[in-house]
Amino acid sequence: MSTRLTKALEFANYRTTLNNQKEQLKAKTQSLLSFSINGGSFTIDLPLLTFCKQLLDDSQTEVVLLDIYNNPIKVELEKFYEEILSRYYEVTNDYYVEYEKLRKARKVHKVLDLNEEGK
Amino acid sequence: MKKENSRGILMFAHNNEEIDYFRLAVANAKLIQKNLKINNITVVTDPHSLKHGEKTLGKKFIKDAINNIVVVEKDKKFKASNLRLYKDTSHSAKYLPFYNVNRCDAYDISPYDETILIDADYLILSDTLNHCWDHNNELMMNWKYQDIMFERKDKTLDRLYDMGITMYWATVVYFRKTEYVESFFELVKHVRNNPQFYKDLYKWQGTLYRNDYSFSIAAHMISGFVDKGIPQLPTTLYKSFDTDDIHDVIADNEIILYLEKPRSPGDFILTKWGNVDLHIMNKWAVNRISEKILYG
Repeated sequence: MSTRLTKALEFANYRTTLNNQKEQLKAKTQSLLSFSINGGSFTIDLPLLTFCKQLLDDSQTEVVLLDIYNNPIKVELEKFYEEILSRYYEVTNDYYVEYEKLRKARKVHKVLDLNEEGK
Repeated sequence: MKKENSRGILMFAHNNEEIDYFRLAVANAKLIQKNLKINNITVVTDPHSLKHGEKTLGKKFIKDAINNIVVVEKDKKFKASNLRLYKDTSHSAKYLPFYNVNRCDAYDISPYDETILIDADYLILSDTLNHCWDHNNELMMNWKYQDIMFERKDKTLDRLYDMGITMYWATVVYFRKTEYVESFFELVKHVRNNPQFYKDLYKWQGTLYRNDYSFSIAAHMISGFVDKGIPQLPTTLYKSFDTDDIHDVIADNEIILYLEKPRSPGDFILTKWGNVDLHIMNKWAVNRISEKILYG
């Protein structure tokens, strides 16, 4: 096999690893953005955050929100908003740091954050 | 004041000639203690698997990991007849007994008000399952799963057969002790006791009895013969397959795996998986790295 072809195949392998690792990072982020309270489960996303902020601006204190199962869950709004916002910051910041690390990695062992011996 | 429910994890571990399920359960119990911070762990096993575990791991070590062991006798006839093809990557495959007949007794066996029933090889690498406790839904299990080789798709795992009901995975099941859940498990038992009838009715493929089938059928029946009637867990079920392998465990919540390329069987890419629970289908692979989970 020519050197150029070997290099191209190595690159293909790197791209597959990189893409899969990006998906893994997304999966981890998604899992960390799950939030449970009062017997209900929520996904912390932009609509939930903005809706809660809107309700807070409307001086609401206790509200009923529909969770991921569409079950009505009563929450104490200020505390709930504080918790989901702080979780969102924390998780997305970690996501950013790890994503940047991945984006700059140009070799398989760097994508996996390992040394060349695989440790 | 509301009385706190008792909560715990339940696993079933019956060894066969090659797979040491009991060892897997002990290793997973260590991960549960570290990542879920739960010490209420029950393992259902048989005298032979327990004896082998005590010989290889020591009684004290097992007691530190599992605080409740339930010993049951095996149905030898079932064990001899329920053979499954186990793979250790595409390079090695073997038919071995698959002893899963008593999982439907989970409701009767569990000493807890709230139970998360998991496979011994569903590695707990995060605290996500803690989202289940005190949930409004008294019974939850997943029908949706995600392969961790993200571009690999297997449509045959979505339904019992091409035009059949949706397949639920009995890999992780959350349940509370209620009348409704008791009835659900009664239905699972009825499927287990009458496999030929339900196989004809629901047309699952092959001769192997799987809990995924009996739990799916019971879910369909108890929902008033409606598909996807039981809510899913608030977590996604991630799976690696038996054609994959594990390279190493690098932390209590992180492992490196070899994933088989979909268009190139026997050829792998590496992936680092962490902070998300994972079902490992290659049992030999988990046994190989269990030493590191058990002793660090």
